[in-house]
This record gives sequence, structure tokens and C-alpha cells, in this order.
Amino acid sequence: MKTRKTLLAAGIAMIAASLPTLANDVVRVSGWGGDNVVVVNTLINEVLVDELAAAGITVRYEPVEGDFAQILTNALSAGTAPDVFYVDSFWAYPVFQSGKIDPVSDDNMAIADELIPSLNEAFMHNGQLMGIAKDFNTLAVQYDLDVFDDAGVEPPNEDDDWNSFKSKLQQVQSNLDDVYGLCVVPDYARFAAFALATGWKPFNDEGHTLLDDRFREAFEFYVNLVDDGAAVLATDLGQGWTGGCFGNGDTAVAIEGAWMIGFLRDQAPNMYYSTTSIPKHPETGDRGNLVFTVSWSVATDSKVKDSAHTLVGLLTSPKAQQWVLESGLALPSLEALGDNAYFQEDNRESITSRVVFEGASNGQVEPFQFAQYGGDWKAIVDEALSAALLKERTIDDAIAFAQQRYDRLTGRQ
Amino acid sequence: MNHKIKQQERIAGWLFVTPFCVSLFVFFVYALGRTLVYSFQSFDLFSEATWNGIANYVALLSDPLFALALRHSLAFSIVVTTLQTMLALLLALAANKKVRGQGFFRTVFYFPSILSSAAMTLIFMWLFQRRGVLNQGLGWINEHMGLLLICVVLFMAIQTVQFLMGRRRYQWVRWGDPFHFLVSLLLTAVGTLILAGYGIGVRELSEPVAITWLNTRETWGPLPRTIWAIVAMNIFTTVPTLMLLYLAGLQSIPDSLYEAAELEGASKFQQLRYITWPRLMPVSFTVVTLGIIGTLQMFDQVALLGDAAPLESKITLAYFTYHNAFPPGGTPRIGMASAAALVLAALTLVMVLIQRSVGVGEKTND
Repeated sequence: MKTRKTLLAAGIAMIAASLPTLANDVVRVSGWGGDNVVVVNTLINEVLVDELAAAGITVRYEPVEGDFAQILTNALSAGTAPDVFYVDSFWAYPVFQSGKIDPVSDDNMAIADELIPSLNEAFMHNGQLMGIAKDFNTLAVQYDLDVFDDAGVEPPNEDDDWNSFKSKLQQVQSNLDDVYGLCVVPDYARFAAFALATGWKPFNDEGHTLLDDRFREAFEFYVNLVDDGAAVLATDLGQGWTGGCFGNGDTAVAIEGAWMIGFLRDQAPNMYYSTTSIPKHPETGDRGNLVFTVSWSVATDSKVKDSAHTLVGLLTSPKAQQWVLESGLALPSLEALGDNAYFQEDNRESITSRVVFEGASNGQVEPFQFAQYGGDWKAIVDEALSAALLKERTIDDAIAFAQQRYDRLTGRQ
Repeated sequence: MNHKIKQQERIAGWLFVTPFCVSLFVFFVYALGRTLVYSFQSFDLFSEATWNGIANYVALLSDPLFALALRHSLAFSIVVTTLQTMLALLLALAANKKVRGQGFFRTVFYFPSILSSAAMTLIFMWLFQRRGVLNQGLGWINEHMGLLLICVVLFMAIQTVQFLMGRRRYQWVRWGDPFHFLVSLLLTAVGTLILAGYGIGVRELSEPVAITWLNTRETWGPLPRTIWAIVAMNIFTTVPTLMLLYLAGLQSIPDSLYEAAELEGASKFQQLRYITWPRLMPVSFTVVTLGIIGTLQMFDQVALLGDAAPLESKITLAYFTYHNAFPPGGTPRIGMASAAALVLAALTLVMVLIQRSVGVGEKTND
């Protein structure tokens, strides 16, 4: 009798062990605040509730207000990082280099394969994909249709190259009082739309930065927009970005991303605007663009790594991305969603989203990241632009000085 | 019994100082020790720290950004400490006058100190814009410079005429007679308005004043223009607190000293030179020491500028340390940051010692 009971108990234990386990792991998730809190909360509490329950995952969401990169760096170093978190392409390098990030799991590689290729490039490190892009943005030209109508000038369009684009801005500026074509900022994050169109790359094969003739051509074009009567310095309008000038009705166009949708919804709800692609280089016919993207990544030290990867898979699944797109809060990273009906709607927000979405695959596109140099790399070109725009240096001097600084930074002899 | 009480007092004493000792050990002694160790290591917060001897210090010496930060910190410290000490003393002397509405003036003088540094920086960033209030003010002064000069000359002339006329009748009349002053002011205002109406002394500027205060690499004297803007901001927010210290010092000087000095025929300046200033020496020591430490470690106002100014135009030693520890989008350089932090600490110590050696000491200098 006793032997039978023992065998029965052992049998039950073996069957229980062989059943698929419902882990019910608690996965800590973190990212920055703002609109993201709404997106993530809705995803985990409404859109993906059933999937999370089926996977046995309980999400503890811990959004961070403040300098997320710094907080994450400290947390990864101290071993207190969340299991799943955002990694911005801009500061991805040191985080990936730290060895504290688990590469994308084999299961999730199938999702990664369906993403826009330039987004995956932003999160490759030493041949491994370290995160799955959750959403992204690129640059596009937003224009005020009423301004162009008042000025009697044809609005910018897909066929514009640098010259026709500048000509339209010049005409608006000369035909209308108190409205400028564009406001320019000394910022690589906008200037790159022109620099990359020439075929110039931020780093050559040796990892050095060369400010060659192609760079100079774009630099000259961008800086001379003010002298040529096509633009004004943003600071002269009391602004720090092109969207601010545009939202105030001071300029005819802005060069920004899909974040303008929400901004203009609040700042200028009655503005009759539309969006088109960045103008093409007159000779190469290419457009330049930057991809601003953020990944979901998993900490190597996570005690619930499997569940963390499963959660990343769910957060970037077609169902989640479809909802993200339709919410209008962000652009999904899934390439197939380019055919979604939302993009075909004839309203300003859908048009802006479509143009920005297409920007990631249109022409010379680079991720907004600068290897191990980060902001130090960007500061050099920003300061060269600033010095030239403010006439503190000639274009030649500004480029020569920037080249010296890049040589020192990247160790070029 | 006596021994027991002494024992209890000793225990109570230790209990009182224990929290301070713990925090001193954890946040100062331990932190200083770790910083010292890191300064001889290569460490990026993630990989294992490796010893590299004095390589971080050598790298500091060969880093042009460090040399720039050092120069900026020293110049900023000397300029701000000097100006804020003088202004704090002047404000304290003014606030110490027994006049009607004394409380109101003291409140107004102290007001900038209660504003948060972040809020003040944002307000100043707005003031310092290329088309901001400061440049508009400078533009107005430029346009009306002629009128302002005429206004001053007119005032002096009317005041002098009144003085000469008054002297014919009353020998005791002074040039600065308050009644004459008011009449001159009134007549000058009327005269200036008439001249302005005819456009005399006013000129139109071909272009508005658009000095770039923040996003520039231009320098004025030992400092970039950007840091001059921070100098103004820093003085504005710090002077009121230092004024309070001087005010407390002024109120502790016995009135009898001034009464005796007046009886001896000492002028107001002599009273300031030989009574007030020596008696305020311990306060001045505190004010100057706080000034040197605060200015050498100034960080928040630079950090809050963000992208509004180029790194080379705003960097100080404290910001250099932070920039190396948390480079935006780059790999942390904790070794370099630690070495820079220790250089900053040593520099602060040296500056305070120099200050003492040039006569600003802790004791009253009668």
C-alpha cells in the first residue's frame, strides 16, 4: 500500500514537471515619460492583456521622468536595471558595448526580419541585433498651404530639388511681409537631410570623419539659405527649432518629423498644412534623411530573461504595431504596415505620417548615432554651423576647424 | 555618581555626532577615497576597472578642453567673487540704513535668492536671446544715446544755475540741494520730452541690436561671452544671500564706535574704511570663501543651458567632470572625471589658502 502511494506521488510529480509551465513572471519595464506612458500603459493594460495572461507575464511598468540615459547607465552598472527598457539609437553604442544587453532572441528575430531595414541597422552591434525598434521618426518638409497660396507660389512637392525648393522659399519671403521661407538651426539633426543627400557619410571605412567637397556643398547651401533670402536664423525669431517658427506662423516650411502632428494639433489647430519629402540633391537625385529610433532591449542580468524576450516580442508584434499606428501616437517599425489604410487617408496627419514613414527607406538614410563618440561628434558639426551662420567664421574656416577637431576626436593622423 | 554622569554625557555626545560622522564617512571620506582610486584607473562603469597609473592626469594636461575649463573656472571665480562681494557689501550698507520702508527694500533685495536656479536660468536664457529683452534694451539705449547725453547735460546745467542763484541769497546752499534736485529733475523731464518730440538726439538704427550672448564662441577679455552671461546670472542670484551675511555683520558693530568717530570728525568714508571694513573681516572671510567654493563648483547654470551654447563657450571644471562621467551618447570616462574632480578640489583648497594669505582672514582686523 505504502509503495503504491509513493509511486502515485512520484507519477503526479513527473506529470506536473512535464507540463508546459505558466511562469507568471513579473517583468519590470522602463522607458521615458510623456506620450510614451499612454502608449505603453494602453498596450499592456488593454491591447495585449490576453497575450500577456497566456504567456504568464505580469508587467511592472516604471516610466522615468528625467535623463533616462543617465539613469539607465547607472542602473545597468549597479545591476538594478529593469528587465526590458528603451534604448535610443543616439546613445545605444555605450549601452550595447557595456555587455549588459542581451541580443535579440531567436524567436524575436522573425519579427526583426519584418522591420524596415534601416531601423535594424541602428541597433546592430558587433554583428548582433541588440534590440527591436519599437517606433521611429525621420525628417520631412511641413508646409503651410495658406502661406504659399497668399504668396502665389507653388507649394513644395516630391519633385523638388535643392534649387527649386530654395527658389520657392525665396519667392515666399520676397512676396510676403513678416513671413520667412524657413528658419535654420545650427543642428546636424536637420542639416543631415542635405549633407547625406550628396552621398557624404559621417564616417569612412577607417572610422574617421572627412569633411570633403560633398560635405562642403551641403554646408554652403544650408548656411547660405539666410543670405540668399530663403531663410532666417531660428534664434532671430526667438525659437530653437524649425517647428517652433512654423507653428507661430513665422515661416512657410519646417523640416521636422511626425512629432509635428501633436505639436501643431496643440499650437496651431487651424493651420492648413501638408507634408512632403526632403528635397532631392540636384545632381545625385537622392534625398538625405536621418532615422530617429528607439528599441526595446533586454538586460543580460534579468532574472526573467525568457519572459522579458517574450514581452519584447509581444510589444513589437503586428497587433501592437497596428494599434500604435492607428493611435496616431507613433510610427510603427513594421515594414508591411506601409500599405496600411491609415496612410492612404487624405488628411494632414495621415499624409505627414506616410511621408515620414517612407523617409526611412527613401534615399541616403543614416541612423541618428555617432559610434562611440555620441554627442561629442555632433557638437563639432553643430558648432561649425553656428559659427558660419553667425558669421563668426567663414565657411572655409568653420569647415577647416571642424576637420581639425574631428581628426583629434577620431585619431586621424 | 560624577563618573556615571560623565559617562552618560560622553555617550549622549557620541549619539549626537554619530549621524554626522556616518554621513561624513559615507559621502565624503569613502567617496573621496573611491574617487582617488578611480583617478588612477581606466573605468567605464561596466567593464572591470584597470590600473593605468597617472595616465588620466597626463591625459588631462594634454586635453585642450580641460585647459579651457580650468581657465574659465579660474576667471569666473575671480570675477564673480570680486563683484558679488562688493555688491553684497554695498547692498547691505544700503539695507542697513534706517529709512522708511526698510523691510520692503530688504525683501526686494533678497527676492532673487528665493527663486530656483533652474527658473532663473530659463528666464535669463529668454532675456539673452538675440531678439530678447536685453538686446532690445541695448538697442533703445543706442537709439537714444544722444538724448540721454542731452538729458544729463540739461540736468547738470539747471542744477548749477539753481545753485548759483541760491548762493546769492543763502551761503549754506549746496550743489546737491534736494529741493533744487527735484526742480531740476522736473525741468529736465519736460525739456527732454520736448526734444524727443522733435526727434532731437534720437537716431534710427539701420539694424536692430542682435548680439549673440549664448550660442557664440566670441570672447570678451578672459571669458567667452556665454560665460559673461552666466556671470550676470550668478551674481544676480547669489548677492542677496551674501548681503544677508553682511547685514548681520553690520548690525553687530556697536553704534558707539561710529558716534566716537563722528565726534573725532571722521568722514563717512573714513568710518567705512577704519571701522566697518575691519569689523566685517570675519564676515568677508565667510563671503569670499563661500564665493570661491561656489563659483569654482558652478555647474547647474551651465548644465541648464543645454544646447543653447557650444561646449567650448560654457565649459567649467565642474561641467568638464560631469561631461566625462556622462558624455551624451558616449562611453563614460570615470577615470578622467575622477582626476578632474580631484584637480577641482585641490584648486578650491589652494584658492582659499591664497585668499587667506592676501589678508581676508577669519579674525577681526581692528
